[in-house]
Amino acid sequence: MIARRRAGTTEIRRDDRDRLGPFGRFYVTFVVVAVVGPFIPLLIASFAFRWNWPDLLPSRWWWEARETARLPLGWDYVFSPVSRVLESAGNTVLIALLVTLLCTLISLPAARVLARERFRGKSFVEFFLLTPLIVPEIAVGLGILVTFIQLGLAGTFTGIILVHLIPTIPYMVRVLTSVFQGLSRDYEEQARVLGAGPLRTMWHVTLPMIMPGVIAGGLFAFLISSNIFLLTFFIGRGRIETLPTLLFSRVSGGGALDAVAAGVALIVCIPGIIMLVLTERFIKEEVFAKGFGG
Amino acid sequence: MLATKPTAPRSGRSRRASWLQRLYVPLMLTPVLLTIGVLFFGALIVALLQSFGHAPIYGIEEFPTLRHYRNLFTLPGFWSSVGLTFYYALVPTVVGTILSIYLALMLRRRFRGKGLVQFVYKLPLMIPYLVGVALTIVLFGNGGIIARGMFALGVIESTRDFPRLIYSHAGWGIMIVYLWKQIPFTTLIVYSVLMGLGRESEEAAATLGAHRWQTFWHVTLPQIMPGIVSATVIVFAFNFGSFEVPFILGGGFPNTLPVEAWRAFEDADYSNRLRAMAIVMFIGVLSGAVLFTYLAAYRRFERLRGRQ
Repeated sequence: MIARRRAGTTEIRRDDRDRLGPFGRFYVTFVVVAVVGPFIPLLIASFAFRWNWPDLLPSRWWWEARETARLPLGWDYVFSPVSRVLESAGNTVLIALLVTLLCTLISLPAARVLARERFRGKSFVEFFLLTPLIVPEIAVGLGILVTFIQLGLAGTFTGIILVHLIPTIPYMVRVLTSVFQGLSRDYEEQARVLGAGPLRTMWHVTLPMIMPGVIAGGLFAFLISSNIFLLTFFIGRGRIETLPTLLFSRVSGGGALDAVAAGVALIVCIPGIIMLVLTERFIKEEVFAKGFGG
Repeated sequence: MLATKPTAPRSGRSRRASWLQRLYVPLMLTPVLLTIGVLFFGALIVALLQSFGHAPIYGIEEFPTLRHYRNLFTLPGFWSSVGLTFYYALVPTVVGTILSIYLALMLRRRFRGKGLVQFVYKLPLMIPYLVGVALTIVLFGNGGIIARGMFALGVIESTRDFPRLIYSHAGWGIMIVYLWKQIPFTTLIVYSVLMGLGRESEEAAATLGAHRWQTFWHVTLPQIMPGIVSATVIVFAFNFGSFEVPFILGGGFPNTLPVEAWRAFEDADYSNRLRAMAIVMFIGVLSGAVLFTYLAAYRRFERLRGRQ
């Protein structure tokens, strides 16, 4: 009798622990508001033509001023070739795609070995591959810049793609290593026993099994590359603009934000929002845990 | 150095196969080691050599000299830069970690709209810091939305009454951007570690009569500690070397070390580029020393607790 009642109370208590209290609910709501809320004034600013202090809303909107203006205004300007927005978006995607491809090809063999083999110097290799995450980017950026200026790689796509490999490879190796760790060798060994060569085994057995993980890692690398500012800014030397460097030139003037800057800032979010939707489908949260010593 | 441990001997294989086997690990690791080694460590070595006075491209060859470091340490405003860099890096790391742990714990509970929250909170993770900078200007600028709201409520009478949150040395805007971007990052790591752990040990503690706080302190926290440590290391290292956020939202001279390094590098006088390299090396060494101490302290702590 007593035992049963005690079991009942723990049952209730556990259920109680599981639900969000009022303070927790307030906190979670605050987080959502803090994340999404600031985009509302940014959106309004992108549609403003005149927004003087202390008006809470613009006194004249873009679409009202649009007809009479001689030059393209606001969003018209953002989408005109003069603003270089579309050009930068194209560059960003092109660079990110090539970086993702290269980064995957470079990281795959290493991840396989790190996940499966035991060898001397393994922990050294792991540490070696971790250092780019720990050493501040600027320390690398300036050293690379002087070298690339000498080699003629500054201001070129090749140069930018090469530097983007530095921050993407460590993440890619970690994600792919955890993919290989979760993969049993049995299937590959069976294929070998049945007479398939190493290449056929790789193509028909290993690749299909690691594909979801490779896609996850690829999305991750694409995202990192498309968000890099400092290395692109240093190595691009203003000759090659990506979305982050374009946004930098729009917001670094000091003072308030004009409609075009607000528009560019919103455009810069698009790859990330697409990624957010995609990762929600492809990337399991445990991937992060495995990547970060969980 | 990278020799494989002998695997099960395979009979009837040619000598070529055993050669391949021996070279298998080094060959597979070569692309990664070469890329990171040449690009990353190559760049660091170039910067290091230049900071010690080896820069034939500018016609400077005084290797080895400590002149550029000595000049640096006596430069007006330099030590304020060091202080600001530490301040902007450390405060958001500590505050953000605490807020992230709490958020991750809350995200494990049941509540309405949980799916939406779990989707939305990751948004800042996906977009560049510069978007955070733009949002901060719109929100916290002296003519920003919050200042306008306070005016509408009669709290302030002009833009001048609004506290300078951005373009100031107090760095509120800078640290808000870091928090906005990094809380999702740390939360995601802590949350995924929590998910990987499951709830058995916590439920066991609760059944044995542990209070919520006791469970957190003695059961949950020790288990998520490795994840927290890696997240804080990455976040601190990033903040310490961050350039664009303090460049735009900072209070001008003296600014953080990375900003000062860039200014020295972009100076019309090329000899200042060596000072830039000295600053950059100084950033690397300082941040490395802090992280090393932190990790060593953590190891010691774990050893004392008897985990390793």
